[in-house]
Amino acid sequence: MMPLLAAGSTALLHNALLVGAILFALGLVGILTRRNLIVMFLSAELMLQGISVSLVAWSRYHGDWGGHVLVIFVLTVAACEAAVALVFVLQAFSRTGRLDAAAWQALREATLSRSVDHALPESDAVPPRWPRLARAGVLPPADEDAALEREHV
Amino acid sequence: MQSLSPATLLVLVPLLPLAGAVLTLLLGRLLGSRAHLPAIAGIAAAAAVAVTLLLGTSNQVGSAHGPHAEPVRPVEMITTLWQWASVQDAYVPPEGSAAALPGTAVSGAGGAARAFTIPVALRLDPLTATLLAIITCIGLVVAVYSVGYMHHDPGYPRFFAVFSLFVFSMSMLVAASNFLVVYVFWEAVGACSYLLIGFWFTKPEAARAAKKAFLVNRVGDFGLAIATFLLWMTYGTLDFHDTLSPDGTILPGILGQTRLADAGGIVGGAVGTAICLCLLLAACGKSAQMPLHVWLPDAMEGPTPASALIHAATMVTAGIYLVARSAPLFMACPDALAAVSIVGATTALVAGLIATVQNDLKRVLAYSTISQLGYMFASLGTGTLLGFTAAIFHLVTHAFFKALLFLGAGSVMHSMGGVIDMRRFGGLRRIMPITAATFLVGGLALAGVAPFSGFFSKDEILATLHAKGWPNAHGEHHDAAPASHASLPLPPGEGRGEGAPATRLASLTRSPAAAPPAVLDTPETFRVLFWMSLVTAGLTAFYTFRAVFMTFTGPIRVPEEAGHHAHESPPVMALPLIILAVPSAIAGWWLFSSQWLAHFLTATPSFSAPAVTATAVPHAFHMDLAIQGTLAAAIGIVIAAIGHLGRRSDGPQMERFLGPLQTFFANRCYIDQLYAGLIVRPLEGLALLAALFDRFVIDGLVNGVARLPAALGGVVRRLQTGLLQRYALAGVMGVLAIVFVLAWRLRG
Amino acid sequence: MNGSLPALTPGLLLAGAVTAAAVSLWLLLPRGAESRLARSLGLVLGAVALAGFIAAGRRLGSLGEEAVFLTVALVAVVSGAATIVTRSPVYSAIWFALSLAGVAGVLLVLGAQFLGVATIVVYAGAILVMFLFVLMLAQPSGLAPYDRVSNEPLLSAVAGAVLLGLLSLSIGRLSTDASCCAVPSKAAAVTGAAQPPAPPTADDPLAVDQVARLGGELFGRHLLAVEVAGVLLLAALIGAIAVVTRGEAALEQDRRLAAGGGNR
Repeated sequence: MMPLLAAGSTALLHNALLVGAILFALGLVGILTRRNLIVMFLSAELMLQGISVSLVAWSRYHGDWGGHVLVIFVLTVAACEAAVALVFVLQAFSRTGRLDAAAWQALREATLSRSVDHALPESDAVPPRWPRLARAGVLPPADEDAALEREHV
Repeated sequence: MQSLSPATLLVLVPLLPLAGAVLTLLLGRLLGSRAHLPAIAGIAAAAAVAVTLLLGTSNQVGSAHGPHAEPVRPVEMITTLWQWASVQDAYVPPEGSAAALPGTAVSGAGGAARAFTIPVALRLDPLTATLLAIITCIGLVVAVYSVGYMHHDPGYPRFFAVFSLFVFSMSMLVAASNFLVVYVFWEAVGACSYLLIGFWFTKPEAARAAKKAFLVNRVGDFGLAIATFLLWMTYGTLDFHDTLSPDGTILPGILGQTRLADAGGIVGGAVGTAICLCLLLAACGKSAQMPLHVWLPDAMEGPTPASALIHAATMVTAGIYLVARSAPLFMACPDALAAVSIVGATTALVAGLIATVQNDLKRVLAYSTISQLGYMFASLGTGTLLGFTAAIFHLVTHAFFKALLFLGAGSVMHSMGGVIDMRRFGGLRRIMPITAATFLVGGLALAGVAPFSGFFSKDEILATLHAKGWPNAHGEHHDAAPASHASLPLPPGEGRGEGAPATRLASLTRSPAAAPPAVLDTPETFRVLFWMSLVTAGLTAFYTFRAVFMTFTGPIRVPEEAGHHAHESPPVMALPLIILAVPSAIAGWWLFSSQWLAHFLTATPSFSAPAVTATAVPHAFHMDLAIQGTLAAAIGIVIAAIGHLGRRSDGPQMERFLGPLQTFFANRCYIDQLYAGLIVRPLEGLALLAALFDRFVIDGLVNGVARLPAALGGVVRRLQTGLLQRYALAGVMGVLAIVFVLAWRLRG
Repeated sequence: MNGSLPALTPGLLLAGAVTAAAVSLWLLLPRGAESRLARSLGLVLGAVALAGFIAAGRRLGSLGEEAVFLTVALVAVVSGAATIVTRSPVYSAIWFALSLAGVAGVLLVLGAQFLGVATIVVYAGAILVMFLFVLMLAQPSGLAPYDRVSNEPLLSAVAGAVLLGLLSLSIGRLSTDASCCAVPSKAAAVTGAAQPPAPPTADDPLAVDQVARLGGELFGRHLLAVEVAGVLLLAALIGAIAVVTRGEAALEQDRRLAAGGGNR
């Protein structure tokens, strides 16, 4: 496959770095705001993707293999992290029954009461049907409604 | 023991009681009722060593050749154990000051810086040897007595540990050859005294008495501290003895032979007087003299053996020792000397008056101790060789008979179940014959009846006061001739200064001639003091025999506390009484007739200064004074007999005689109340003010400052929600702030 | 910031785009109360922000390259944004997969064929599937409350915007001043002269046998690091298993205690 552009292109570097920065910032906002542990990890991976793009862009610009090698290590570490972190997520879920980062607040000041979610407004009389995966290892109950919703997932 | 050097023996004297104290402390619980063994063994060995040393030193001095031997050479031996402190170049003597003593090798290097060294040095001279022997021997006798007296006391091991520690401290005090070391052990004996007065610390009176003794002594100790500072400022050293500096020159000590040989070596004038008055204040505190005597009567709350040893025989004589040791310093300041006499004689008289109306046997003896110590001070203050030796002579005899009297009182108290009020018992001579007989011997000695020891020492004191008051009769026969035509005596300073003009060449600036004429040191003063002492002699006889009659004569009366087992004390207590009765009876006569002690003491460096030896007089027995003294004693005894002999008399006769004075004396001249009103109450008010200020102003400030962080923390505390993502957000914002600042600074 | 003049206009443009992006994110993030208006406004602002970023980007050489890069970059960014604003974690994961595809495209445009493919294979094929498994194990029925509210959306959006602003500003300045970005050679360091980018060499990542060269680089110069990474993988594997088994045991004990002696 022939390269599209010559090495050392400042414009390509600039644009690629911008993409990497946007991805990184999105990941940061995600990890700060979303309370679902899984989504938090997805956000972290998003940040890693931003880093990878920046690294490869620099590597391209300088005509050097270092960025590529680093990205491979980033992949490796991300795999390790995912493995270990998911174990912890599972443990946390087993204890609280929730994938909520805010479920753990034992470190708060003793005088403060536990922070709770503000009352969620009942926006719809009928809550929207969200896609849902069957629980692993459990035969999902036969549900016609769920079957009807299949096409959305 | 012959194989041991005198230096080793000297170290052993304090060391053995110390070992005894440590052993008793460590093994006390283990030994139980045998806890006295280490202490008594240590003190007994120390006593043997001390007597050996005394005999050895006596041999060195040589015997007295006739009534007035040629001046003996001073005998002194110094053992430096270790250097306690050493600061190089600490002191540069000012030009022409007393520290740069001329006539010694140092004079050439008068301006050279000198090191501040505190050697822990022990000295041996006749004065120290005498006191060491007294301390250890009486300590041994009293310790043996304590075995019986303190029997079954729960604090038995503690008593012997502190007792032994006291013997150690006292030995060190009289053996130390440096003012700072003296100060240390001055405090140490005070601490032992505190521990023994408060021995039964669960008794509120005992605890209060211990506290009082400690605090009153502190006033005196303050004087000693100031005196030490002044001595350092003036002389550039604190050693008694001369030391050899590394470059081969002699550094004269304050009381070293180099300085004593130089007529101008001792500083007089205002500084010298200040030093002497501070030393006198210290001596007053420790020896319970007039302004500071209030602690001693209360100190009788302690165990009687402790009272006998510490508050009668030894520790209270530390003031006498200090003044006697510093005799050359006092000789340069005639006014300070006269002050010593005035304080002593006044104390003797007032304490004697108070003693006449006390009903507590031990308190009578306590006031009598104060009174007798006053005698010694009066004698010291005459500033003559006879005065100094007479004071030490009286110290020795007093140690024997007062210890005897106290032990006798303890024996009575032991037998009477702790009751010591003389109005509640009587006729005890039939129950306790040994105690009665020995107490009578002690009483005769204290009263100054002819063949007993107190007579001779008191006679010498009266003689020296008389010689000072009627100087024309000096050296002649004493016929109490009127001295109105007497010319003023030469102040000691002048006579001394002309005696050695050659040594004064370089020291004109500190010539004693520059000293102002003495104000207090006049014959008239000493005449008054003599008459006061004579009256005191009569009072002494009176209150002594009042006590003897009330306790031992008349019908048998025993308080109910004693139960039915009032009996003579056990042999372990009776034997010490008998042992002490022997010297109480004959020591005075022997020492007086042989003049052994006086001759021996003359070899003490402090007493061998030219200024002191110049006042030596031939030994004589002053029949007229003896008659006056004996007459006074006889009058006192007769009055006591009229008032108290033969029938129960609880004091109405006395009240008839004295009227309102009786109340005055019974309340100890209201001196305690005076102190309470003048010192304690205002101080308490001040303390209350300070406490209020502390509680409301300072505490308020501190608490206010302490509340500030808490309030701030309350604000920040709300951020600690325990939510992971909040923390992450805060971290990100912090990083961004840093990056922002960095980008701003690097924007160019 | 008082940047130099040439950076000013793109700087302003970027600032506007970043602000729009932040507001858009804030509007779109789950906040409990769902409002159709906010949603629409957020989408519009997001589009504005994207347009701003496109305008602030440099023009590449040819229109074809431009189009390819824009497409893949837009896929990556838009899917990434959708990943974090979507309520349902399942949809989030799917959006993330799409974003991964976009990133892979960008990598391909940058000439890293191996990495592009590896990203798809490793992430989408392995890691993402693992996430989905966890979701299947752990997801409660319906939309959980904690998926419908977010933590401090405003502050977080501001923080992200500040970060993005700083990054994009410095990116703009760096590429404006070409000399600053070149690897300074020894000669340049000595003479102080600007050095143009090095011409393609034998080590050029864009060579035909790129994968072979990458392999050579990895197992030559970085062999030790590769071994260490292998050890790390092993440790993570063992650690994960250990934690799972221990944790299960502890959990079992907890349950028994909670059941008061246990009915299992």
